[in-house]
Amino acid sequence: QAETTPLLPPADIISTVEFNQTGELLATGDKGGRVVIFQREPECNNEPYCQGEYNVYSTFQSHEPEFDYLKSLEIEEKINKIRWLPQQNAAHFLLSTNDKTIKLWKVSERDKRPEGYNLKDEEGRLKDVSTVTSLQVPVLKPMDLMVEVSPRRVFANAHTYHVNSISVNSDCETYMSADDLRINLWHLAITDRSFNIVDIKPANMEELTEVITAAEFHPHHCHLFVYSSSKGTLRLCDMRAAALCDKHAKLFEEPEDPSNRSFFSEIISSISDVKFSHSGRYLLTRDYLTVKVWDLNMENKPMETYQVHDYLRSKLCSLYENDCIFDKFECAWNGSDSVIMTGAYNNFFRMFDRNTKRDVTLEASRESSKPRAVLKPRRVCAGGKRRKDDISVDSLDFTKKILHTAWHPAENIIAIAATNNLYIFQDKVNSEMH
Amino acid sequence: MNMEYKVEAHRIMSISLGKIYNSRVQRGGIKLHKNLLVSLVLRSARQVYLSDYYGGVCVRSPHAGGVEWGEGDQMDSDGSRSTPDEHGGESALVSDDSVRIPEVSVNGPAAAVEGQDIEDLAPGSDYNCQQSPQEDVGSVKTAVSAKRPDASPSPSLSPGAADAEGENQEGSGSAETGGPGSGSEHCVSRSENSQQGSAEVTATCCTRKRGAERSASAGSPVKRPKATAVPALPPVGGEGEGPEDMDTGNVSSLITIFGSSFSGLLSKEGAQPATDSEDSDSGKICCEQMLPNLNPWSTAIVAF
Repeated sequence: QAETTPLLPPADIISTVEFNQTGELLATGDKGGRVVIFQREPECNNEPYCQGEYNVYSTFQSHEPEFDYLKSLEIEEKINKIRWLPQQNAAHFLLSTNDKTIKLWKVSERDKRPEGYNLKDEEGRLKDVSTVTSLQVPVLKPMDLMVEVSPRRVFANAHTYHVNSISVNSDCETYMSADDLRINLWHLAITDRSFNIVDIKPANMEELTEVITAAEFHPHHCHLFVYSSSKGTLRLCDMRAAALCDKHAKLFEEPEDPSNRSFFSEIISSISDVKFSHSGRYLLTRDYLTVKVWDLNMENKPMETYQVHDYLRSKLCSLYENDCIFDKFECAWNGSDSVIMTGAYNNFFRMFDRNTKRDVTLEASRESSKPRAVLKPRRVCAGGKRRKDDISVDSLDFTKKILHTAWHPAENIIAIAATNNLYIFQDKVNSEMH
Repeated sequence: MNMEYKVEAHRIMSISLGKIYNSRVQRGGIKLHKNLLVSLVLRSARQVYLSDYYGGVCVRSPHAGGVEWGEGDQMDSDGSRSTPDEHGGESALVSDDSVRIPEVSVNGPAAAVEGQDIEDLAPGSDYNCQQSPQEDVGSVKTAVSAKRPDASPSPSLSPGAADAEGENQEGSGSAETGGPGSGSEHCVSRSENSQQGSAEVTATCCTRKRGAERSASAGSPVKRPKATAVPALPPVGGEGEGPEDMDTGNVSSLITIFGSSFSGLLSKEGAQPATDSEDSDSGKICCEQMLPNLNPWSTAIVAF
């Protein structure tokens, strides 16, 4: 069994990428438990094509490695997911989670500081009261911008299994966290208890047949959420129906194609990510070889299916051996829900235009990422005629995988995490993408 | 053609077993999702491998088969209901969605007590994970107790309630070690043989399991010191048969070990009060003690 030697410090590997609701901020989490927030610089109005670049805004350590002595288990500090809260005041709030603990962080700016205290001097030392002869009102003076990040809440001890998803409700008061077998509902202000809303743990663990792989709240309806399973099913649940949402309101499942049956059929049907469209009408799911768009009103099959890298279908055994078949790719909608995007191997990522049915394969690499460079579409050749610049399937680098991608909520700006590098691509007027 | 599938299935099984074994030492704890998927692949591959086995390609020594059938006759005379046909062979494994690998006796005659079966099988696996090296035996053994109408029913076990269940397990266990006990193990081996060629393994394991139970029953059911993980009992049919028989059913026996190991993983993952650091240790001991008895390629897995 071949083992890939990591060439990069594993702690730097990006494990999640997320824009906030306005797209002004972009947060990344990594395997070392760190969060880096990028902020988009205001666009310069002088040049028409000068669009804001993203620069580092703040960096902080969100989670540390822990050890559970009772179970003799090490708890990884890797950040599994980051979700921003909708902004309600000058400060920004985000939730970050590792396998067990969710934390609420407040990100605020400080660009003024009070000066002219009566009882303290400039360095903060207490003055001798007898030296104070007159009173002054402290005034706020500008200072260099400082970004402060502080943990506001720690939501711990609620998950026996590994947390794979968090999702903020549209009510902006609650959020849910999902692990392999359970989903819990939290109030953002209350850390000492949560409500279990889904529990698929069988009474006898030997009967376990599926786990929860992802979960998300509906973008508008605060009572609806969806969760995906390792069996390739989606369940839409309505929290108004019962306290425990074990009975789904809708079950989305596509019957398996018997002609494609193999040892690995079950693995490749496992859904690795699910995302509601911005409109709330559709669901986007990613399994190992495809992305699918589901209509909330049609449960028996997806509306659209797109092949991400079907040329891997004949290589599933090798991909099983090197563990690549377990890679969990994410998927993303663009702001208008007309284009969907997902990552693949060899630092390729794919975009599918739902209207024109055109798709494109692009590469996130240093060579293609010089400023102002236009991304060149790539092609994977699975045999047959090979054109110049085509990559053959056998020369794909499976250690370079793009698992995490994010799309700006309104504009054509995408963030691509390629191992320990973050690429941000912006659409120019004359670009091929639209 | 059959040989190709068999070889491929065999290879996939060994890879899967390696993955399950590796997952125990991975940072961050056992990943439930990945282990579930691996166990599904393992089960599919095993199904192909074993169905192919009965497709006519038999490269194993024949004498092992003779042993089981002889023992099987005893079972009939014992009055137990099961016959090989009723178990439905491999289809029992195929139709059941459970990740539990050695679920041999759930269908067929045990259908009448199926609810109890499932409950009984759980204690067996969990119980074994906590104490004995032959984890596969536990599940098979409790399947036996399910089949026997006079076996004391064990309440459904969640690993957290292992205290109480352990006691009940002991109860039914000691009932088994009584007069009809010998019949029970033959019953097991017969049912195993109807589905795979590894029954001889199970027969031997069954004996050792009983021994482990006897030594364990002396103490508390929850706290099983590692010493009890190495019972020394005369196996049915002679010790000499053991290693040779292991040879013939090596992959299947490995699967039963790891299958039960997997349920052990799950109980550990479930973080129930009964699970503790002993789980991983005894599970490891289980593997380390069983595997050296098998042929060399299995030792390669231990080396992982």
